Amino acid sequence: MDSFERPTFGKQKIQFDDSASKWTRFRYKYLTLFALKKVVWAFFRYAFLIGISYVILFPYYSKISTSFMSGEDLVDVTVKLVPKYPTLDTYRIIFNETEFWAALKNTAILSLFCAVIQMIVCSLVGYGLSKFKFKGQTLLFACVILTLVIPHKTLQSTMKLFFQDFNIWGLIPIGNLINPSTHWPMAMLSIGAIGYRNGLYIFMMRQFFKGVPDELEEAAYVDGAGVMKTFWKIIVPMSVPMMVTVFIFSFSWQWTDKFYTKMLYNPKEFVFFQNIVDKLPQAESVEKLMTEYSSVETQYLAAMQNAIGLLVLIPLIIVFLFGQKKLIQGIERTGVTG
Amino acid sequence: MTGNNSVPAVKKRKAKSLDKKKAKMGYVFVLPFILGFFVIYLPMIVESIRISFSEIKPNLTGVGSSILYENVGFKNYSYALFEDTEFVKTLITNLKDLVLDVPAIVIFSLFLAIILNQKMHGRAIFRAIFFIPVIVSTGIIEYIDMKNVLSETMGSTSIGGDGGQAAQTGTEILNTMDVQKFFASMQVGQGLVEYVTGLVNDVYDIVNRSGVQMLIFLAGLQSISPAIYESAYMEGATSWETFWKITFPMISPMILVNAIYTIIDAFTTETNGVMTRISYVNDNSSMPHAMAMSWIYFLVVILIIALVAGIISAYVFYQRRD
Repeated sequence: MDSFERPTFGKQKIQFDDSASKWTRFRYKYLTLFALKKVVWAFFRYAFLIGISYVILFPYYSKISTSFMSGEDLVDVTVKLVPKYPTLDTYRIIFNETEFWAALKNTAILSLFCAVIQMIVCSLVGYGLSKFKFKGQTLLFACVILTLVIPHKTLQSTMKLFFQDFNIWGLIPIGNLINPSTHWPMAMLSIGAIGYRNGLYIFMMRQFFKGVPDELEEAAYVDGAGVMKTFWKIIVPMSVPMMVTVFIFSFSWQWTDKFYTKMLYNPKEFVFFQNIVDKLPQAESVEKLMTEYSSVETQYLAAMQNAIGLLVLIPLIIVFLFGQKKLIQGIERTGVTG
Repeated sequence: MTGNNSVPAVKKRKAKSLDKKKAKMGYVFVLPFILGFFVIYLPMIVESIRISFSEIKPNLTGVGSSILYENVGFKNYSYALFEDTEFVKTLITNLKDLVLDVPAIVIFSLFLAIILNQKMHGRAIFRAIFFIPVIVSTGIIEYIDMKNVLSETMGSTSIGGDGGQAAQTGTEILNTMDVQKFFASMQVGQGLVEYVTGLVNDVYDIVNRSGVQMLIFLAGLQSISPAIYESAYMEGATSWETFWKITFPMISPMILVNAIYTIIDAFTTETNGVMTRISYVNDNSSMPHAMAMSWIYFLVVILIIALVAGIISAYVFYQRRD
């Protein structure tokens, strides 16, 4: 829709003869029903968007402001949203006394790695399920939905047991993959397209490919390209926006994940954000501050944990802003719109 | 004559072999999932089903692992359905909520996507803001928010808080009584009034749960060819007609995706009543009972998804020739 703008009557060129006064020109140009409609629509649109944005953003404003508050601010009941004695103590504690940077590094590597694999694998599977007719296709798609419907959370106990004694159908024993921690469980979940919400990615890609006209591929086959070449040269370039969407989802959900990292990794070997949040009360200066401001202990701790949450969010917002630009660029270049 | 006849025959044979080759390539594309499903996922499922049919007994013989699973048939299932009254009750409440929430979320996210797809100032900023709930409603951020006591002391709208909590802190957007009076004068049912006021008061919750759907719609909207809009405009279609005759059919596959996604999302979040019940039973009484409950639950979920998918896909329009 970006390249085509609906011509509006407000923009219509009106021919005036020379005798028309400025007022007449203004009146015919702007005091029309169409111009009024535009203004009213813009007003309601912005009112709506700003209202919803307020609902979304306000809690973050309060989090940001409390992350700069000192103990005195929390004790003082008159302080609501603007700290009277602002301090950087919270951030100093997070950066100096926790393993924040190690967690950031581990999370970044793991998320990038999982997101790239999942994006590739889910596009392949989605393409296979949408454009080919083979035996057991419907059944396989039902399996995809099944993996989506049964969340791993409920398979938690069996999943841990499974990876602790990993084997292929009881025939080929491989051994314990969790203790000592390895990246294998996460890698296998990603490569097998059964990681967190991967069923959704497959489903999204399948729906997208289903909307791609078959003629595009047929033309490529006629020109002598193989299936793989057609996929790589024709389909992948045009599905960049959907792939970026899958990448963003996968990346951000892996980034904020606490379930897999807690279950599949030993915190002594790999630190993740969850461990930092959990271990925060044991940090030396936190304990000192807690005894100093024992009346607002829970609030103070929550403020610090919220500060960690904010730090976790910042990289994700950057990824989204970058990805969104790519997303729009990709769409404009695609053959889908033509 | 013979020459003429042989041409289609050759063509047919060639086409068939191409199809066969294509079918084989299809297996290559889905191979990762087949491997993942049968090597990793299925064994976990089978194990879980096995536990749901058994009872945990300590191993007294001292040989092998310390726990034995003894097959007890459908005992765990009958316990979940007939003895644990809480489970069935939460299940029914959940289904009721779902029927009301899914249309609201799908329509709201479509509406948002259409607005955010229009040309205007600050579009990128708004899109970024609306993306925040997608990240925030999962994992560690949700965990931090759940334990958040700050929102009450700071007098802010609570994150992930429900309408009830908002009502207590006096931040309710609509006064239910006023709206009820207004609707009563319009002679509409009590149920509708509660539905509307509930939606407005839970706006944070709805926005929070519409993020993914909005992005899916946005991607779908942007893949519609401007040429179609252009020709519709040339034919003199109004925006209203354009929406119903072009945008809506073109976006209908995404409506299917989003309806199913919303159902699954509503059923599988950790804050869902049935899920909380299941993990409570898992932690406090017995794992086999919890497993049996989750299997009953998933059967119900799968049935509902099949039903919804069946109904919606009858109306879905795909832009390609079959």
